[in-house]
Amino acid sequence: MTMLNPDPDAALVERVKQGDVRAFEMLVVKYQRRIERLIGRMVRDVDLVSDIAQETFIRAYRALPQFRAESAFYTWLYRIAVNTAKKALVDMKRDPVTTLTALQGSDEDDETYRPGMEPTDGETPEALLASKEIAATVNAAIAALSEDLRQAITLREIEGLSYEEISDVMNCPIGTVRSRIFRAREAIAERLRPLLDTREGNRW
Amino acid sequence: MSQPDSDRASSESSRRILSALADGDATDGEAARAFQAWRDDAGARAAWHSYQLIGDVLRSEDLASEPRADEAFLVALRARLADEPVVLAPQPRAEEAAVAAPAVANAGAAARSRARWQGPVAMAATTASSTRGCGASTTGSSARRARSATRNASSARGALARSSLRSTSPISW
Repeated sequence: MTMLNPDPDAALVERVKQGDVRAFEMLVVKYQRRIERLIGRMVRDVDLVSDIAQETFIRAYRALPQFRAESAFYTWLYRIAVNTAKKALVDMKRDPVTTLTALQGSDEDDETYRPGMEPTDGETPEALLASKEIAATVNAAIAALSEDLRQAITLREIEGLSYEEISDVMNCPIGTVRSRIFRAREAIAERLRPLLDTREGNRW
Repeated sequence: MSQPDSDRASSESSRRILSALADGDATDGEAARAFQAWRDDAGARAAWHSYQLIGDVLRSEDLASEPRADEAFLVALRARLADEPVVLAPQPRAEEAAVAAPAVANAGAAARSRARWQGPVAMAATTASSTRGCGASTTGSSARRARSATRNASSARGALARSSLRSTSPISW
C-alpha cells in the first residue's frame, strides 16, 4: 500500500465540513471501536474509556474545520484520542476527587457506586460472550464465501488495498471488485443479523 | 421483514453505495445518496454499522463489540452533538471572500445566513431537532443504557470543562 492512496474518509469529512452533522455520525460508527480500544490501553476504568471516547469525538467535531487533510482523518482522530486520554489522566492525578466526582455525576440513587469497582457493559460475561459470538460468526461467514469474494474483502479490509490495486491483483475490472466486496459484506452481514438486531428490530 | 419491494430495492442500491463509500470509492453523486440514506433509511444505517464492524473484526477479533454498546455510544454522542454549534467550513465563493475563513456558526448565526447556506444549514438545523427526537424515542434497555451513557457523558463534560479540556466554542450548560 502506498502513501499516495487517498484518504477513504475524504468524502465524509468534506460533507461534515459543509454542515452535515449526521455525516459525522458515520465516522463515529466507523471508528468508535478502535478509538475505545486505544483509550482502553491508556485508561483502565471502563466507564472512563467511554467518556473519553465521547470527548474525543466532540473535540474532533469542533476541530474539523481546521483539519487540512495533511494526514488521514483516522491518524488525526487517533492523535486527538491520545491527547484527550492523557489530559484526563493528568487531571485525575492532579485532582482525583473533583474529576471522579464530576465523572460520577450527582447520582443520588447510586450511593454505593465506586468508579472502577463494578463491571460495566464492556466487561460483563454477557457482553464478552456476545463479542466472541460475533467474531466466530464473522469468521465462519468468511470461510463460507466463494474464493473470489473472500479474496476481495480480505485484500480490502485486512491488506488495506484500494479497489484499483485489488483489480490489479485479481485481474478483473474495478466494477467487479466493488461488486465482490459488496456481496461479501452482504453475505457476512446476513449471518450477523440475528446477533445484531435489537429486540425492537430497528437499530440506529 | 415486511418492507414493500420498492423499499427493499432502494435499500439494496443504498447499501451498494454505502459499501463503496466505506472504501472511499463512491462518486460525488453516490456519496450524496449515501448521506441521504444514512438520514432516512434505518436499514442503510444498520448496514453501515455492519460493514464497519465486519472490517474491524476481520482486522482484529477484540474489536467485536456488542452492537447495543455501539448504538448507545452513538445515541449519547448525538445528544451532545445536538448542543454543538454547526460546523461550517465553506468553500469560498467570489462574493463571500470576506467571510471565507473557516467558521463555526451557532444556530442563530446559521439561521441568519440561511439565504447563503440554504442547503447544509437548513439540513443541519433539521438534523439537530430530529436527533433529539431520535434519542427520546428509544425504549427499554437501550434507552436506559443511552440515558446512562448520556449521564456519564454529561458528567464527564463537567469534569473536562472544569479542567479546561474543552477547546474552542462557548457551551451553554
